[in-house]
Order: sequence, then C-alpha cells, then structure tokens
Amino acid sequence: MRGLYIHIPFCQHKCSYCDFYAVERLEMVELFVEALCREVALLPENFPEAVQEPIGTLYFGGGTPSLLAPHQLERILAALQRVFRFESKLEWTLECNPGTVDRQRLQAYRAVGVNRISFGVQSLADDELRFLERLHSAEDACQAVEWAFQAGFDNVNVDLMFALPGQTLLSWQRTLERVRALAPQHISAYSLIWEPGTPLYRRWQQGQIAPVSEELESAQYELAASLLEQDGYVHYEVSNFAQPGYVCRHNLLYWHGEQYVALGPAAHGYVNGRRYWNVRNLRRYLELLRQGKLPIAGSEQLSAYQRLEEVLFLGLRSDGLRFESIRREFGLELEREAQELFQRWDEAGLLRLWTPERLWLNSRGYALCDELAAELVVFAERLWKRRYGTDSMPGVLPLRVLDEEAVLGALPGYAQAVDSSSSCTRMPSLPRGGHK
Amino acid sequence: MPQLKHIRNFCIIAHIDHGKSTLADRLLELTGTVTTREMVTDQILDDNPLEQERGITIKLHAVQMPYTAPDGQTYILNLIDTPGHVDFSYEVSRSLAACEGALLVVDATQGVEAQTISNLYLAVDAGLEIIPVINKIDLPNAADMIPVVQQQLVDLIGCRPEEILLVSAKHGTGVEQLLQAIIERIPPPTGDPDAPLRALIFDSMFDPYRGVVVYVRVFDGTLREGDRVMFWATQQVYEVDEVGVKQLKRQRTGELSAGLVGYFVANIRRVQDTKVGDTVTLAERPCAEPVPGFREAKPMVFCGIYPSDAEDFEELRDALAKLALNDAAIVYEPETSAALGFGFRCGFLGLLHMEIVQERLEREFGQQIVVTVPNVRYQVRTTTGSIISVDNPAQMPNPSQIAEIAEPYIRAQIITPTDYIGAIMQLCIERRGTQTGMAYLSPTRVDLQFELPLAEVIFDFYDKLKSVSQGYASFDYEHLGYRPGDLVKLDILINGEPVDALSMIVHRSRAYEWGRKLCAKLRELIPRQLFEVVIQAAIGSRVIARETIKPLRKNVLAKCYGGDVTRKRKLLERQKEGKKRMKQIGRVEIPQEAFLAVLRIEK
Repeated sequence: MRGLYIHIPFCQHKCSYCDFYAVERLEMVELFVEALCREVALLPENFPEAVQEPIGTLYFGGGTPSLLAPHQLERILAALQRVFRFESKLEWTLECNPGTVDRQRLQAYRAVGVNRISFGVQSLADDELRFLERLHSAEDACQAVEWAFQAGFDNVNVDLMFALPGQTLLSWQRTLERVRALAPQHISAYSLIWEPGTPLYRRWQQGQIAPVSEELESAQYELAASLLEQDGYVHYEVSNFAQPGYVCRHNLLYWHGEQYVALGPAAHGYVNGRRYWNVRNLRRYLELLRQGKLPIAGSEQLSAYQRLEEVLFLGLRSDGLRFESIRREFGLELEREAQELFQRWDEAGLLRLWTPERLWLNSRGYALCDELAAELVVFAERLWKRRYGTDSMPGVLPLRVLDEEAVLGALPGYAQAVDSSSSCTRMPSLPRGGHK
Repeated sequence: MPQLKHIRNFCIIAHIDHGKSTLADRLLELTGTVTTREMVTDQILDDNPLEQERGITIKLHAVQMPYTAPDGQTYILNLIDTPGHVDFSYEVSRSLAACEGALLVVDATQGVEAQTISNLYLAVDAGLEIIPVINKIDLPNAADMIPVVQQQLVDLIGCRPEEILLVSAKHGTGVEQLLQAIIERIPPPTGDPDAPLRALIFDSMFDPYRGVVVYVRVFDGTLREGDRVMFWATQQVYEVDEVGVKQLKRQRTGELSAGLVGYFVANIRRVQDTKVGDTVTLAERPCAEPVPGFREAKPMVFCGIYPSDAEDFEELRDALAKLALNDAAIVYEPETSAALGFGFRCGFLGLLHMEIVQERLEREFGQQIVVTVPNVRYQVRTTTGSIISVDNPAQMPNPSQIAEIAEPYIRAQIITPTDYIGAIMQLCIERRGTQTGMAYLSPTRVDLQFELPLAEVIFDFYDKLKSVSQGYASFDYEHLGYRPGDLVKLDILINGEPVDALSMIVHRSRAYEWGRKLCAKLRELIPRQLFEVVIQAAIGSRVIARETIKPLRKNVLAKCYGGDVTRKRKLLERQKEGKKRMKQIGRVEIPQEAFLAVLRIEK
C-alpha cells in the first residue's frame, strides 16, 4: 500500500510552538491550489515511480488544510484522480483547526469524500489554548467534534498536547476526561517540544518561561496512557491511541517503512528506497512549478544498514519489531542475538508482547522509546559489522541536494558564489527531466 | 675524518617555552644546515605533530651542523636536543652525557625556572661547560628584566655577568656571537679512535624501512659498517649495515670515530632492544668499562587502557605494538578486568607521557579507548614476608594478607615568586608532603623542596600548582624510592558488584572523604538507567558511602513528525553516538569519563 501526503502551508495565525512550515498569507491559497494541481500533473512524466502504485491513504496536513474551501478540495481531488489510482477503501484524512469549520463545511468535506477528520484541539483549558496562541476556545473545539459526527464522520481524531508550562496534572486530567466524553475514535497526545526558531523557544531563551519537569511530563504521559487504555483505546504508537479498528493507516505507513508520495512545500516522501523532500518556501515552490519543474529540494538513498536502523526505531515506537521480516530483509537473527537486551527490557517491565515473532513495547516502554532505540541500534550496528564487515557500513550518506537555491538561497551572497553548472550533486534518476 | 679539535658536542637546556626550539632553528639556519626555504614548519626539531601542538619536545634528536668560523676553520657542531619535561629526566641525563657543553637558555621575561635548574644540575654533574644565554631580549618588557635574570644566572652558576649572552632567537640577534662562544668555550671531545669501541646510545627511533635507527656518541674507537657490535646491557650482537650522521636528513658516512655523534642501522626490529644509556662496543674487541650512568627506564605511572568495544581488542593490540615501535619507554601487557573485559595495563614515565600515548592512540591510530585512573606501583609486604609489586589496585591482596604497603616518594623542587609560598605549602601539605628545604634565589623568588608521595602528584597536582600560583610556579621532581604508608584499597560497587576498574589505593585518613566524593561524582556522571543504580564505596567489606540514581522514566520525543523520518533518524544517530561512549557493566551503562571520575574531584 502507498500513501499520499499533501502539505497545506497556510495558517490564519501561526501557533507559538509550531515549527511546521506555514505562512499567514491566505490570499495565496488560490495560487497554491493551482500550483499543487500542476505539481500533480508533472508527476507521470518527471517522477513516474511516484504514480506507479495505487494510493491507499490520502492525508492533508499542514498548516491548516481546513482553510481550503470544499470546491478547492474537489479540484485537487480531480487533479489527483487524473494521475493516481486509488484503492477502493481509501482512508482520506483532513486536518482541521476547530476554529475554521462549521457544520456546513464539514458536511461539504464529507460530500467530497473525506472520511477522517483530525482536529487540532490541543487542550480543553482556555488559558492553555491562549498560551499556545490557538484561535479557538475549548467550547469551539467540542462543538466542532460534535458537528463532525453529525456530518457523518465516523473516524475522528483529536490532537492533544501535554507538558505545557502551567499545565497541572489536574488540568490535563480534565482535558482528557472531556475528550473521552466526546468519544473520538482516535486520540493523539503529543508533548510540547521546544523547537528552536519558534516564539515559544525565544521566550524560553529570554527566561520568561521554562519546560516542565521530567517528573511532571512523565506523570502526564502515564496518566494519558492509563485513562485512555481504560476506555478501550489501544496505545499503538508513542503518541497515538485508537479504538480497535481505527488506527490511522496513514501514520502506520510511516512507522512500517512503507512508501508515500509527497506534495506541497516542505512535504516529505519515501519512494523506492529514497527519502526526498520538497522546498520549504512557498514563493520558491510556486516559482519552480511555474517553470514546470518539480519542487523537490533534496533526497537521500538509504543504505541497507540505514534501512535496518529505521526498521528498528520505527518499529519500537509503533506496533513492534517483527523478527521474521527483519530476518528476511537483513539476514539477522535479532530475536536470538539480542535476547539479553530484550530480557533486560522485560525485567524493567517495558514490554507488552515478546514472542518469537514480535516484540512490542507497552506504555512505559514507549516513554523510554528513544533510550531503547539507541541501545538497540548500537547493538545492531555491532551485529551488522560482525555479519557484514565494517566496510558495509557507510557513515551518514551525503544528502543529495537537487535544488541548491531553494535550500541555500537564504544565505546572503550564495547565489553569486555558486556556479550554476554544479550538476554533480544532481541525481540522474530523480526527478527525471525535472532539472535541465 | 674530522680532527677532534674541530668538533663541538652540545645541547640546550631550557624550560618549556623559553625558546629552545626557535634557537635551534636559528642555529640550523645560520650554519646553512637548512635553507630558509626548508623552514616550512617553524620548529624543525619538533617533528611529531603532537609535539608541535603542545610546544614541547618529547623525543631526542641530534643534528650535525658544519660551520665555518670567522677564523676560516670549519667546525662540526653537534646539537643534541633534549626533552623538556620532568617525565624524561633520565633521557635528559643521557643526552647530556653525550655532550661537552650546554647552552643554558633562560627567557628574559620569565627568569630561571625549576626545570632549568634541575637540568642545569644534571649538566654540572656531567661536567659540562655551561654557556648562559638570555633569550627573547626583543620582548617589550625584556629590558627591565635582563639585569634581574643576569643576577639570577650569576648566583646560580657563578659566572661573570659579561659571560652571559643576550639573544633573540626569533630575530637572530646575538646568534652569531653564540656560535663563536660555542667554539671558543666548549672544549672539543677527547678519545682514542684506535681504542676498543665505546659509544653511548642516547636515542633511537623506528624507521619502517630500515628498522631501528640508533643514535650514539662515540667516546672511544671507531664504528664502521660491517662491524659486529654488542650492546652492553642486553648482550645482544648485531651487524652494522649503515653508519652516518644526521643533518636535516641522515647522511651516510661509513664510519664514526671517537668524539663524533651519529647514527647506525643494524637490522634491529624493536626500539625496546636499544636502551637509552646503554653502551655499544665491538663483539670481538669489547671495551673494558661501559659508559657509566645506565639505568633501565622504569615506568612510574600506570593505567589500564581498554577498547570501548570489546571486539576491538585485537585492533588496540596492533595499535599499541605500532606505537611502541617508536616509544621505547612505554610498557604494556594484557590484563583482564571483570568490568572492562580484555585490555592492557600500561606503564609510563609520567603523566605527560601517559597523556601523549592516549592521544596518539586516539588520533594517530583511531582507537576508541577507555582509560582507567592512573596509579603508581606499590610494594606490598605480605604476612608471609614476601614482597610483591602491585601496579593495578584491583590486584591488591586481601587486607588480611598485607603486612605493609610502601609507595614511591619524590623530591619536588618548586620555584615560585614569594607571593605564593603560603598557597603552595598548603597544597603540598594537603598532598601529604613534607617540606625539606627553602632557598631564596632572589628577594622575590624562592626554591621550595618537598618530599611527596608520587601518587599524590599524579592527580592534577601540576594543574593545581599552576592555579594557586597563577601560573608562575615551576615544578620538577626526582625519585626518592619507596616508603611505607597507611594505605587502604577503596572499592566502588555498582548495584552491589565491585567495579575493579574503579578501585584505588588511598591513604586511610582520606578514605572516607574520597569515598563520599567519588560516589557523588559518579552519581553526576552516570546517566539514569532503566533500573535504579546504587553506587557504594567500601573498604574491604565495610561500606563507607552510598548514592542512588533513580531510574529513568521518560526519554522520548512524543512529537508529531509527519513523514520526516530523516530528521528523526538524525536525532537517533546523535543518541547512538552518546551510547557508544558507554561501557556496559552488568546491567549498568557507565560513560567513559566515569572511569576518570577521581581526577575530577575537587580536593
């Protein structure tokens, strides 16, 4: 199965913590939709690998995809249908800001074919929403979820955030309880990450606010896991909970190392063993498409060893390591070789499942996932070297930058300094004919 | 063969940074031994990058400089370079023995330092003619200081002020006069070219194509290619393939006669087979007596060196073997640690030597290593009356079997401006030192003498000394032999298991304080783990300190990544590198720095 991710890079107002690519230039939405349709149309000729397989999941993320009017969504869908084949059981998610939708709009989305709504609720405490610079109130968010159900959506996700400065365990519990009462099929609980370059980060650097303690953060994480599991949600990824049958297939595709095509600025894709990403600049994106070029900024081809690392850490953070497929793909008997390591994890009470076929972390294990992933890849590297020799282990593969200007254009004086004939960094196969 | 009266053999005695290497460069340049164009690297004599970086010389070298004096005669000047650090004082004494004269070089702005004095004493003991030189007279504040330094030198060696040469090695000022002084004041060598060969080994190096190149000073007789030579101390016999002198490169001459300094090659495979200070003579016609003063170079400081990854043991062994090709002073033998697996116990001349070896292993040989806390070699008298040497604290016998432990002592000489006497005395007393002497070199400078356990000096003593004296005090030492002490073995237990690599020998009066501080430091250095970690310090079976590290509860970025797996993988790579610097001991991962935790404790 393949996925398709489309990045909608607009927000009415950028939230204080967010480092996803988005601009507050709503007058450009229409131009963007046109460009996006052109990007789709360029694929068959310039990147035929991208359109070879049918699409099983379609995900509109952002930014704020719900700034798109239903008719714009329809146009995009029409463009996609000219190029892609879709599986009959398509999962089509649209991320919505609760402040941007009403009952009619949700009904219209449903009519176009969207079948999964993901609401950026974040919190149901108004002071926390203000802190995050969200444009909606707790009441608005609850209302929006209700409307979605009334519009006929039976697969609704609610995004929540914890580890917010000033957010107590009690207020987090209240948010969780109100969300449980709404009974969405899916809940994502993310901890606040202090990303450099965000207004929030600057305020931290200036000493105005500070991250919460590790104790509080882990207590909040454990609280969410235990409350939601009680309600029948399955904790199937570090941040994701779903009622049985409602896991987000698109997200799982990332964790399972499956392929997905990227569209829109700053979107990331993974096709035929190659990870690639689009330019992270709307102006540049529009410009390239006006010239009839795909807006791909760079890519990297994964080595076999890098693939293994990905399989391991992505497996740990989602629904587990599958030993048989690791043996098939990499020739490693991980379940036997890493027995001692897994034993230690088991004794520490971090495993939900440990069979000859599969090892799956529980909520406590997820909370330590990065630690465990580092332990496992150190072990795997040694195993790999012993099996295949040191030479089979390239360090970090160089990133191939296709569109130097898009990536480096921000550096003053760069344009003059670079010889435009530096074609050696371009790859022959991808995108074909995209750069002449 | 040159006549003896046209030969001068000399060396340069100077404190670190007083300009020895720069002066040597000027001599090479002025005698035409190298052209200015060849002076690509500023200091030719320090040809190991590590030496250049640290501005110190650790290997001995010899250079022959032909020099045509104003009197029209051509002289052969042999400059024998000496290492500039306390760890190498025996090597210094051997190169001094190869000379008839020494230039005593003192920085005009710094004055006489401890090392200058101790090396000067060695030179005087060796009967060398001393030429006092004040260097760096070009520095802005030199003018005021020159009379002071002149007076120091007059007091020190009893020369007349006008015998002191003023030089700026940097600009070449006074170097011509210095060359004159070398010819006029340093006596030519004596010796009988027809007597049985008697030559002193003062250095050796490994050449990958020729094997060991041995540097010698011939006292009597003549060394020729084809000779069968015998090394006095090792009784080994070799056939000489090549004989020559070293200018900038080696120049084959076929023979070396009495009075000369040069090299020979004789198919010797390991520098360890050529012992500095040993005598070379002819196998068939040996000399009556060797050159006096030979001593086996004894390692004084020991530590364990282990591969970070147990699987790299063989690689580490190869690297050590290669390193030892060029470092006759390092000794190492395999050892096993319950905590660290297979590794090596290595012996060094001193702390600097140890640091240099560690850095070379990491930088030249690309090894990831774990190094344990350095220690001295103890002599243990057991209850059955036997004496055993212990150079690894983990191997200290059970307390019930020990009658007495003795530890090596040194005599430290510290020269300092008088302002810092109090602070330095305080430091030495804290380190169990006893003051044995104090002499004023001038109204503002004093020479302090202490006897100290070597073990107290190998932990950051030098750094502390520099810090309490704001960098002004200088330090040198000589070994005094073993003295009994009330010493105990302090063990560190992690989750109840003793970690042998963290054991140390301490004085009983300090054991509690050390145990407490060491546990606290380890608690800082060991990251939280999946399990609770208990750190204990114990003497025998008695626990004297304890710390706990609470288990880790959360280490995950519960972030929405979208499809940007690349970014996530890069984060993981960083965490992985951090993990690789950990050593797994039982179920606990210990970072490499933890094994040196004791060095980071504030005393």
